[in-house]
Amino acid sequence: MVTKTEETQLNRLENQVDNGGGGAWEYLCMVRKLKVRRSVKVLKHGLLILNDSKKRSSLGPEEWTLYEQVAVAAMDCQSLEVAKLGGMRFFVLKLMQYVICNLLQDCANALQKKFPESKRVGRLEAMVLEAKGSWGEAEKAYPSLLEDNPFDQVVHKRRVALAKAQGNLTGAIDLLNKYLETFMADHDAWRELAEIYISLQMYKQAAFCYEELILSQPTVPLYHLAYADVLYTLGGIENLLTAKKYYSSTIDLTGGKNTRALFGICLCTSAIAQLSKGRNKEDKDSPDLQSLATAALEKEYKQRASDKLSVFTSGFKSLKVSS
Amino acid sequence: MAEDLVLDTAIRDWVLIPLTVVMILIGILRYFVSKLMQSQQTPDAKIVKEGQVVVRARNLRAGANFIPAKSFRARRAYFSNEENGLLHVPKGQGQNPQAQMFSDPNMAMDMMKKNLSMIIPQTLTFAWVNFFFSGFVAAKIPFPLTQRFRSMLQNGIDLSTVDVSYVSSRSWYFLNLFGLRGLFSLILGEENAMDDTQRMMQMGGFGFDPTKNLSAEKDGLDIIQHEWALPKFEQRAEAVLKKLVS
Repeated sequence: MVTKTEETQLNRLENQVDNGGGGAWEYLCMVRKLKVRRSVKVLKHGLLILNDSKKRSSLGPEEWTLYEQVAVAAMDCQSLEVAKLGGMRFFVLKLMQYVICNLLQDCANALQKKFPESKRVGRLEAMVLEAKGSWGEAEKAYPSLLEDNPFDQVVHKRRVALAKAQGNLTGAIDLLNKYLETFMADHDAWRELAEIYISLQMYKQAAFCYEELILSQPTVPLYHLAYADVLYTLGGIENLLTAKKYYSSTIDLTGGKNTRALFGICLCTSAIAQLSKGRNKEDKDSPDLQSLATAALEKEYKQRASDKLSVFTSGFKSLKVSS
Repeated sequence: MAEDLVLDTAIRDWVLIPLTVVMILIGILRYFVSKLMQSQQTPDAKIVKEGQVVVRARNLRAGANFIPAKSFRARRAYFSNEENGLLHVPKGQGQNPQAQMFSDPNMAMDMMKKNLSMIIPQTLTFAWVNFFFSGFVAAKIPFPLTQRFRSMLQNGIDLSTVDVSYVSSRSWYFLNLFGLRGLFSLILGEENAMDDTQRMMQMGGFGFDPTKNLSAEKDGLDIIQHEWALPKFEQRAEAVLKKLVS
């Protein structure tokens, strides 16, 4: 987890480096230490250091760490760049890919020359294969790496990513489950699993994953929200009641700033009312939660998007009628 | 003793300073040697998993009130049922560490390496100090001390008339041996500080049993009372929204 002070420090450093104030190496070290994803910047500043032979040699043995970091960042950038260039011409994209591939090869070659037997380089090479899109070769490379060290979490995760990239979601689920059997305290893996389950519409399993996430970090409102969403989607009076509770905990944790949770409350309440019609079972706990949520939403709309207010009120009228 | 002993400056130049420098150099050398000798050990799958299980169980215990009762019960059963729960340790299977040590030669080897890197230089330097510098009064500390410090500061001098604030060379060696931790942590980085006292503690703490950890965690889970915290959150959300709307 990145704490607030670390983040501000990182941002300050990034600002300084961007404006040519020096400290690029410190910035790169910090990115590596905090494991944050700022690949574009890392690529830019890392390359500046690597291309300057004087600066590079002054790093000493750390030079090779930098090679690795830049290579990984470059791999990451390829996809980011592709996403960013979506509307541009195909040929620019190809050129970009070509440049990055060359760069990757350079980094990997330099490392390969230095550490011919290293597992870390082996891992990097497999990642290069993966980044180039040669799935088959990468798929062969990872298991052999795992044989050497079965506890390499990065390799495990790369395998999952590989399966996911190929569109093999069930395969990714299998791999993730196997990974979580051993590393069951890794909440990022649980989150990934939850998201994959949702994309396959396996909501019960996803709910389990979100429970696990809430357990590991009970104060993160996003997990409460996602769990509530899943429960609402599952439906059924019991799940709806629970979903409403988790929406309200999200509101409590975010101080009422989360619009999705506000909408969730309204939808849940009306759905509950619809289901329990005739049974005459009033919700005693919080009778005016819905009206409060609606009022909060209305206020929000008035402040931020007053032109959409009419759409909102007419949409909510239909909800009110049904409740 | 009324008159002060006058210490020859040659003692400072040829005993006190060399002794200190040698102790520091040996400390650094030992750090690098032990780093070289450290074998790359792959962790045992079972131990890794047990560590993770404990973390997850602890999470469950801490956050139990944040998930619905049904989910909590399912998880508790998963962790601590008597047949195949993750935290359940079958009787007699709790390996005692002694046996484990003998069954795994690597572990014994590691221990021996650690011990060797600690004991050999220590005996050597002690012998060296004893041989060359025995009986020197090497330094004087600038404040008086009570008689009780005599055994600490005047090791190797069997004179009861010498003032306690004089330090013998052998005692200076011991003071260095245990007192250079701060300096090493400056030179070698925070966690690299070679600390003999800590080493000894580790030795004492050896034989830590992971299965005990598991069963303790299991007991903790068994006695926990689940009280769902979420219903309260509805009222709290109401309060928050009331404040927001008004």
